[in-house]
Amino acid sequence: MPIDYLPILIMLLVAIVMAVVSLAMPHMLGPKIFNKAKQETIESGKLNYGDARRRVPVQYYMVAMLFILFDVEVLFLYPYAVLFWDLKWFGLVQAGIFVLLLVESYVYVWKKGVLNWE
Amino acid sequence: MDALRLLTPEITITIFAFAIISLDIAWNDENKSRRILPWLAFAGGLATLLMIFYIWPHVDQYNYTAATDAGREVPMLAVDRMSLFFKMIAVLTVILVGLSAGEYVEKHTPFRGEFYGLMLLAGLSIMLLVSSTNLIMIYLALEFLSITSYILTGFLRRDARSIEAALKYFLYGALASGVMLYGFSLLYGATGSVDLATIAGSLETTQAGLVVAAVILMLAGFGFKIALVPFHQWSPDAYEGAPTPITAFLSVGPKAAGLAVLIRVMVVALPAFDVNWTPILSLVAIFTMSVGNLVALWQTNMKRMLAYSSIAQAGYMLVGLAAWSAAPPSAVAYLGGVDAIMLFLLAYMFTNLGVFAIAIILENQMGTSEIADYAGLIRRSPYLSVALLIFFLSLVGIPPTSGFIGKLFVFGAAVNQGLYVLALFGVFNSVISVAYYFGVLRNVFFEKGSDESPIRVGVAMNTVVTITVVMTLLIALYGQPFIQLAADSAQILAANF
Repeated sequence: MPIDYLPILIMLLVAIVMAVVSLAMPHMLGPKIFNKAKQETIESGKLNYGDARRRVPVQYYMVAMLFILFDVEVLFLYPYAVLFWDLKWFGLVQAGIFVLLLVESYVYVWKKGVLNWE
Repeated sequence: MDALRLLTPEITITIFAFAIISLDIAWNDENKSRRILPWLAFAGGLATLLMIFYIWPHVDQYNYTAATDAGREVPMLAVDRMSLFFKMIAVLTVILVGLSAGEYVEKHTPFRGEFYGLMLLAGLSIMLLVSSTNLIMIYLALEFLSITSYILTGFLRRDARSIEAALKYFLYGALASGVMLYGFSLLYGATGSVDLATIAGSLETTQAGLVVAAVILMLAGFGFKIALVPFHQWSPDAYEGAPTPITAFLSVGPKAAGLAVLIRVMVVALPAFDVNWTPILSLVAIFTMSVGNLVALWQTNMKRMLAYSSIAQAGYMLVGLAAWSAAPPSAVAYLGGVDAIMLFLLAYMFTNLGVFAIAIILENQMGTSEIADYAGLIRRSPYLSVALLIFFLSLVGIPPTSGFIGKLFVFGAAVNQGLYVLALFGVFNSVISVAYYFGVLRNVFFEKGSDESPIRVGVAMNTVVTITVVMTLLIALYGQPFIQLAADSAQILAANF
């Protein structure tokens, strides 16, 4: 029984060795020349500005969160679309209830003014 | 009965919850019709209760609603008498809390529709949780319950204490469910199944060590919901900061749900014979009772005191489970401890919700829940004072109240299995608890208060207090139907494995 888990152990060891080696090798082998441009924080090729602890408009979080919610929920419709003909009317009613709940939450968000940008 | 009809209670409560939220957004704030929202929630609770009674006679232990996994049927929910009993507890809690919340909600928050909608959804999550026969379903339902509880705890979003309570509750809860999931993964790794009955079938005695580890980890998740020591630290802060009706709900609903799922996992997935669970459960029970009662002695705030008192009460319930686990292997069908838990829980629900109803009335009137402010209550409202006396007698376990019957059965089950030390600890703790319950009563009856104006009690609140007083006395004075109900509910469970 425990021997069945051996591949997982090997995988774990490989992962640890990879991580350690890929960090240690450049550290030991690479030349170390510092200058101002190199010391700067880099984020996807954009120069950074200001402090990270700035205030961000709350709508940003709201919209991002809602996007993820609806995106994930709509994902459930894909398996349904594949099985559309097999599930017949029962499946249609189930999917209908599901979509109805989605619409309800959308209307709720709308009515509560979350999508108001002003 | 076909599967869909067995789910009518859940379907009913869902429809009502969404109807309330829809109407809440359809009507703007000035609309007078918004006043019916609390009553709609009440109607939803009653309708769900009726549905539970409607399917009660038609249920036997093999009625599962099944999901399919690779062509094999995997039960997700079991509709048996045990789950129906706990569903009844959940719905009664929602109804009583909903009734007693009216004025408080009116006063403290503009979001009334959401409050009642979320209350019903919390009830729904408990109903799903107590039926779950599958690790995945247990986890999903537990998270559903947790998330609704977090939101309700932090419902007074302008009140820093409410936010703090919700945050503490959330952080503890996130950690506890993570630990619990790890326990689930150990069980799944050992057996290759998430279905409780399949797990029971494929566990081997050589895996005892693994199973003990898994159970202790899972106990963190369930114990968090029940507020067992040492997973109880969130509860005093959460209880104090939460809106008082939600505190009432938290002290009964999630406790019952956690207990139900703990019982089901222990009885269905891990029958007691492989590993001796009694020492673990007894130890947790003793610690829970003792810590709850001893710390409650020093509390000056009613809500905090009730938080510790409800921790202690959960300890008494666990005594029943320890008694069940101590039964000799030959007595497979022995569920003496479990029916004692159910009877105790029924008694505890009415009593505790009654105490909280009084706390809510006084908080509405006085704006605080300090025990010192309860002084002289006897002159301000004799009815509430006497009701409080009856509730506290019941929480201590003095006849003629329901708490006595509950404790009689729980401790009786322990003595039956020879767990004398455990029973003795229980009795000792009941004696300690007299001190703090009667400390409040001394204030109420013998101290002189600064304010002598009579307490005004609304119709809904009066109904709640009267119902809970009557039930507290009735379960003790005419106990046979309730004892029978608890025994019936536990017997079906025995046939499940």
